[in-house]
Amino acid sequence: MSVTPGAPRTLEAPEAMTVPPTVGPLPSVVPPTAERFTLSSGLEVVTLRREVAPIVSAALMIRSGAGEDPADRAGLASLTAEMLDEGAGARDALALADELERLGADLWVGSGRDGSQLSLQAPNDTFFQALDIAGDVLCRPLLTDDDWQRVLADRKTANAQRRDQPESVVSVVSDRLLFGDAHPYGRPVEGFPRTIEHLTLDHVRAFHQAYWRPNHASLVVAGAFDAANLRARLEAALGGWTAAPTPPPAPAPAWPERPRLCIVDRPGAPQSIIRFLAPGTDRLSPDRPGLAMLNAILGGSFTSRLNFNLREKNGFTYGASSSFAFLRRPGSFAARAAVFAEKTAPAVREMLGELQGLHERPITEEEHAKARATLLMRVAEGLATTGGIAASFGDIGLYGLPLDEPLRFVAALERTTADDLRALAARYVDPAAGMIVIVGDRAAIEPGLRELGLPAPLICDADGERL
Amino acid sequence: MLKIAFDSYTLANGLQVIFHTDRSSPLVAVDLWYHVGSKDESPGRTGFAHLFEHLMFMGSRHAPYPAFDAIMESWGGHNNGTTSNDRTNYYEIGPRNLLETFLWLEADRLATLPDVITAEELEKQLKVVQNERRQSYENRPYGRAELAIPESMYPADHPYHWPTIGSHEDLEAATVDDVRAFFDRFYRPSNASLVVAGDFDPAEARRLVERYFGWQPAREAPAHAPRPPLPVLPADVELTMTDRVQLPRLRLAWHTPALFEPGDADLDLAAHVLGGGKSSRLYRALVFEQRIAQDVFAYQGSQMLGSLFHIGATAKPEHGLDEISAAVDAELARLAADGPTEAELARARNTHLADFYKSLDHLQTRADLLNHYQNLLGDPDGVGRDVARYTAATRASVRDAFARALGQKHLALRTVPEPVTT
Repeated sequence: MSVTPGAPRTLEAPEAMTVPPTVGPLPSVVPPTAERFTLSSGLEVVTLRREVAPIVSAALMIRSGAGEDPADRAGLASLTAEMLDEGAGARDALALADELERLGADLWVGSGRDGSQLSLQAPNDTFFQALDIAGDVLCRPLLTDDDWQRVLADRKTANAQRRDQPESVVSVVSDRLLFGDAHPYGRPVEGFPRTIEHLTLDHVRAFHQAYWRPNHASLVVAGAFDAANLRARLEAALGGWTAAPTPPPAPAPAWPERPRLCIVDRPGAPQSIIRFLAPGTDRLSPDRPGLAMLNAILGGSFTSRLNFNLREKNGFTYGASSSFAFLRRPGSFAARAAVFAEKTAPAVREMLGELQGLHERPITEEEHAKARATLLMRVAEGLATTGGIAASFGDIGLYGLPLDEPLRFVAALERTTADDLRALAARYVDPAAGMIVIVGDRAAIEPGLRELGLPAPLICDADGERL
Repeated sequence: MLKIAFDSYTLANGLQVIFHTDRSSPLVAVDLWYHVGSKDESPGRTGFAHLFEHLMFMGSRHAPYPAFDAIMESWGGHNNGTTSNDRTNYYEIGPRNLLETFLWLEADRLATLPDVITAEELEKQLKVVQNERRQSYENRPYGRAELAIPESMYPADHPYHWPTIGSHEDLEAATVDDVRAFFDRFYRPSNASLVVAGDFDPAEARRLVERYFGWQPAREAPAHAPRPPLPVLPADVELTMTDRVQLPRLRLAWHTPALFEPGDADLDLAAHVLGGGKSSRLYRALVFEQRIAQDVFAYQGSQMLGSLFHIGATAKPEHGLDEISAAVDAELARLAADGPTEAELARARNTHLADFYKSLDHLQTRADLLNHYQNLLGDPDGVGRDVARYTAATRASVRDAFARALGQKHLALRTVPEPVTT
């Protein structure tokens, strides 16, 4: 068949094509049934069956993470987590990794702001063997000095390399300026080079002893597990894990004063990485479902106001978005985009304009309906994989929420009105009160930002040190 | 044997249709693959297949921009597309009540997109793609090296010489006429396969597919250029480039057999033995024991016209790429001479098998796998055959495939830190 460039083929479409199909009602979200029991150590276990694939996912959540790192030891929680699978029980680090691979199992140990986590995913026929290794990692880590020297050196290098990555740099600097040096969220989970420098294996042992306790943890097992033997195998794998009182969480200091504009200079950068930041709220806030909906409208979906303006209308960026970090202590609200360097000032203007637009062009009924459907289906999709179920219920355990949290969240979405969203926008989104952080070519972008009426920028290095 | 259950049939116009039901969640996924990738472009016209992926969201006759995204997001659905050297795919995921909408939207843009595309829309998406290039390669550490590898490995007229993202020059030169011609040539029912997966009634879905796609006229499937012979580098290629990074990185690449050709799965296993996890040979030697590298990786980049076997290693501070290179070479030579141990082979094989199990957990991944095998083998029922390639591998077959690869000339690309300017 010949190709004739330039001559569009026009097809006569049948009637059926000319009108959008009618769409029936949204299906209900039906979370899987959770069962709960407590092991002799005091560890709470939640199990959920899913048999679509022959795999099992487990998530063990410790209710303390980098949020408990002292200011001068930032990075400790994550290094502790990382050290746990560097040899445990009768196996050194390499033997342990070998055995997990032989079983086809993935084991990951790490920390976030609010918790630490051991995740395990394995085929169902090797899951219990992998669980025995996970038990060693939790209860019987070797924590040798030689492994520590290696892991610490790797972390030092990784923290230095972080300065090469503009998206990482903007996160580090944003958190530091928004939360302040006194706040645990003001420091990266992986620490700063100067806070890593003085950490010792004794600090790691002490953190493990203090926080990695069954009474301070919860376990989710999801997937095609052998239900008849699960409890006995858990008791065996986690035998010898003992309870002890854990220190209370460190208090969160008040929000510090923040600059209006900060630039991290990256001479010659072809893109500017832009973040707008303001205080948000915490994980247990009753505003969370409504803010999640508000965010879907502002920057949490493809057709959101921010993406539509900065990407689709103006072509400044590959994507613009926003998010609330709902954490144990109040987290951040952030809007973000990576834009053509020469479009930095117009992009900042449009971003601030869309934040203001939430007040001037109030949320429509259509936007409200979209936000509700989007969030409902995100819940359904989150529960549609074995790993997703483990992650969702792991989060429930981490924050001490009831097991019917998914349905409570759905009910809250259902009753939140467009008026509620407008009221939340008034309380949480104020373009004049936030801070703008940009990683980009200072000489090229600063004049345009001045023309927007922004003050002289604070200049920081890639770790957020004021220069 | 591992299997993804499906039913398939072909419409009169040549569209391949594949159904996979899974009633465990109230979701459906529609996954449409067009058998066109950047390999089907011409020099000077690069980046087109991927640019096209963006233009497919710019509206069609009955769903004018921005209806495609707006309608589905208003009901909680979402979508995306991806482009590789070998194919372009589009998918939608959402509540089951959106199935008919998904099919209508996909069918309308296949039938009518060239009627409505304008220079303004093209211009806007060009900017988005140019930002994507900056974000994914130019402003990302070591990103420019990734662009240089295919350019150095393949001669200028080979379909893998240029990157999927294209060049800024070619993108800027694109006209609406070019776009229409590309669409006309490759976007035909006979050059596509459609997977519907999830919570739906197959009889009803069959009626809907007929309603929205069945009326579209049959057109001959476009001819794809035959597979060129595997390129041979006449001599080892050594390149050094600078980037805004603190640590130097070594990248090595060899030409290896195409996806599903003899040796491809063996090399996948060899890559795992070399760079898959803490107990792999390169990690163990360079990171764990000698502590001269910050990271190492190895992978068989399998593609339809020919693959590349990749090695990468980033030097730790105070260590250089000569030292890294010597240590890597020693491990490569050892594997080429002796092959993996039985235990190493078992670990690599079990890891691959477990990865197959995990991929079966996710609805859209299953849909994509069915299309992948349809695109590659002309048959969606490929997962069992795929797994069998790995279970059939032996120490000798891995050793021989790896030794053959290593016997070829190769690329050694060094990325070194830019001189510091103050």
